[in-house]
Amino acid sequence: MKPNLLDVDNVSKTFAGRGLFSRRMKRAVRNVSFSLDADRPEVFTIIGESGSGKSTLASMILNTARPTGGSIRFEGRDLAHIRSRRDRVAFMSRVQAIFQNPFDAFNPLKPVDRYLYTAAEVFSGCRTKEARETRVDDALHKVGLSLAEVSGRFPHEMSGGQLQRIAIARALVSSPSLIVADEPVSMIDASLRMTVINLFRMLRDDLGVSIIYITHDLATAYYISDRLIIMQTGEVVEAGDARQVLAAPRHPYSIRLREAVLSVDGAWRGTGLDAEAIQPSLR
Amino acid sequence: MTLLHPAAASAAAEDDAAIPLLSVDRLKAYYRLKLFGIDREVRAVDDVTFAIGRNEIYGLAGESSSGKSTLIKTIAGAIRPPLAVETGSVCFNFSDGTRDIYRLTPRELGEIRWKRLSYIMQGSMSVLNPVRRIRHSFTDFALPHVPEKGAAFAERIGRHLERLHLERSVLDAYPHELSGGMRQRVAIALATVCGPEFIIADEPTTALDVIVQKGVLAMLRGIQRELGSSVLFVTHDMAVHANLTDRLGIMYAGRLVEEGRTRDLFRQPLHPYTRHLISSLPQIGDDTPKKGLEGSPPNLAAPLSGCRFHPRCPLAIDICRREAPPMVAVAPGRRVACHVVTASPDAVAPAMEEVRP
Ligand SMILES: Nc1ncnc2c1ncn2[C@@H]1O[C@H](COP(=O)(O)OP(=O)(O)OP(=O)(O)O)[C@@H](O)[C@H]1O
Ligand SMILES: Nc1ncnc2c1ncn2[C@@H]1O[C@H](COP(=O)(O)OP(=O)(O)O)[C@@H](O)[C@H]1O
Ligand code: SF4
Ligand SMILES: [Mg+2]
Ligand SMILES: [Mg+2]
Repeated sequence: MKPNLLDVDNVSKTFAGRGLFSRRMKRAVRNVSFSLDADRPEVFTIIGESGSGKSTLASMILNTARPTGGSIRFEGRDLAHIRSRRDRVAFMSRVQAIFQNPFDAFNPLKPVDRYLYTAAEVFSGCRTKEARETRVDDALHKVGLSLAEVSGRFPHEMSGGQLQRIAIARALVSSPSLIVADEPVSMIDASLRMTVINLFRMLRDDLGVSIIYITHDLATAYYISDRLIIMQTGEVVEAGDARQVLAAPRHPYSIRLREAVLSVDGAWRGTGLDAEAIQPSLR
Repeated sequence: MTLLHPAAASAAAEDDAAIPLLSVDRLKAYYRLKLFGIDREVRAVDDVTFAIGRNEIYGLAGESSSGKSTLIKTIAGAIRPPLAVETGSVCFNFSDGTRDIYRLTPRELGEIRWKRLSYIMQGSMSVLNPVRRIRHSFTDFALPHVPEKGAAFAERIGRHLERLHLERSVLDAYPHELSGGMRQRVAIALATVCGPEFIIADEPTTALDVIVQKGVLAMLRGIQRELGSSVLFVTHDMAVHANLTDRLGIMYAGRLVEEGRTRDLFRQPLHPYTRHLISSLPQIGDDTPKKGLEGSPPNLAAPLSGCRFHPRCPLAIDICRREAPPMVAVAPGRRVACHVVTASPDAVAPAMEEVRP
């Protein structure tokens, strides 16, 4: 039998507390399990509290952090066994990341196009300069940019949205079978957001790429996701078909989350920001 | 101690009321770059005129890289090369006098920062020094601007943090020890603790979950109402604009293309870009396909002639390729920069009627 694309098997991550402020152990992720089927590419969405462990889980799936409990398998192979440089490069060309804050994801001292060229060389084996340029330009066009606009520019010379699009283009330079996108659209405008979300749909439907989509934007989650999990304090509190869960959440936290979504229509009914009614989470 | 501004509190402000707190006049701010030996200018803010009144929350939305953050930097006086202001002015009518931002010495600018004018930056953690405890950020920024010193100062900070539902112990934490929501509230606490008259916030809640976001926005609004200050708020989240802002400006390619009361703008967007933006919003329960804008975003280093939206505009006519549409008032409080919309005010007027309650 063909192995799953991804198995997240009872995964936990505990950070040792440091400093005066956080002496306790921090259980960032607790016993999370799910699998992605290799034959059914999908958009698998993770939503949840700020600090609920979404990014920590993402970094374990990307093999940049080790679980302290449980295991993760990609195409049947335990990530803990990926050690040699060759294996790592092979893994990274199959599993790509788009990070949360583009301002952190780029080295401020390196022109942004370098990242793209490196990706073209390392992950898709483009030998010649021309091949690399074509590959990179193609990827940039998919996100509404071009090499001409990006060449030689440094991260601080770009807007938040431009940087995030470059990060997405970088993930598209290799031909991944899984993309882990950690809040990829929060910094871009509503129209471009739909361009990117529709691009994810195209990747899934036409190229068979699975996408783990981490977001706070429940509306795009509803629009694009197949399945969804909701996390709170490191745990999955609700999981299921995305549309069903969002239309009729069951867990108290999911219900609160759903109710906190601001909407344009709601604003005119005065259901928006009622200062008194709000008890922010104290975490 | 009261946090209320004399100007907001007293009737003496009456003759002041007509003068907006912020007036931006024909502002142009370009990035001057040298790339492979060739000079290039990125016209990130290209002829923007608008004003913000007292006690008002003004929202700014628009395409990524349309110049929102640059506009905000120029308004806050945070101008560093290669950014340069070409022409135009930014004037604040603070309760203790008017200030033309570009005529201030660095020292004078330093005196109004935090006290009269505060700025929450995009990617906001930048204001919090990663290797210093939160306490130091407060002493660095706020101590010089408030009357309280020593224990009284600590008390003021402590009470302010509590208002934002933060424990006083966050003062002993390093930024990385706090969750995103906490850091964001710390940034807001810093920006509001001196009771500024004008608060500028560039995507301050983008990284937060919807529950925390709603709390942070409600607190920001609560503090704004209490201080009677004005807020310039940038976000891509249109639902946040609908729920938070009084008026809304839409930017495209370095220009303001439409402005109006938030509700009018959503109910009856006039500029083709605004119309597209609003129609592209997905909603839970809405299964219709949504589309992003076709075509390439404008290149600000080589701006097009005529209307910068013309290659992507479904309504474009001949004149759009030749002449840039000026920003014109089409109804009270409503401005738009579009040849087609302004040529048929008849078509616009009844539509506007519908909108008014
Ligand atoms: N330091 C800089 N040097 C050169 N160009 C810059 C610099 N900062 C911004 N730009 C350019 O100026 C233009 C406007 O950028 P700005 O950051 O103001 O956009 P924005 O509207 O805030 O976008 P976003 O919504 O994506 O944050 C962009 O083309 C950007 O690449
Ligand atoms: N390197 C680290 N050291 C200590 N604690 C961490 C580290 N990274 C994350 N955490 C903590 O783990 C929890 C989960 O964080 P994160 O995965 O970033 O959440 P999310 O992405 O859902 O907002 C948070 O409480 C965070 O403070
Ligand atoms: S001026 Fe012309 S091109 Fe520009 S938005 Fe109006 S109709 Fe479209
Ligand atoms: Mg995260
Ligand atoms: Mg910006």
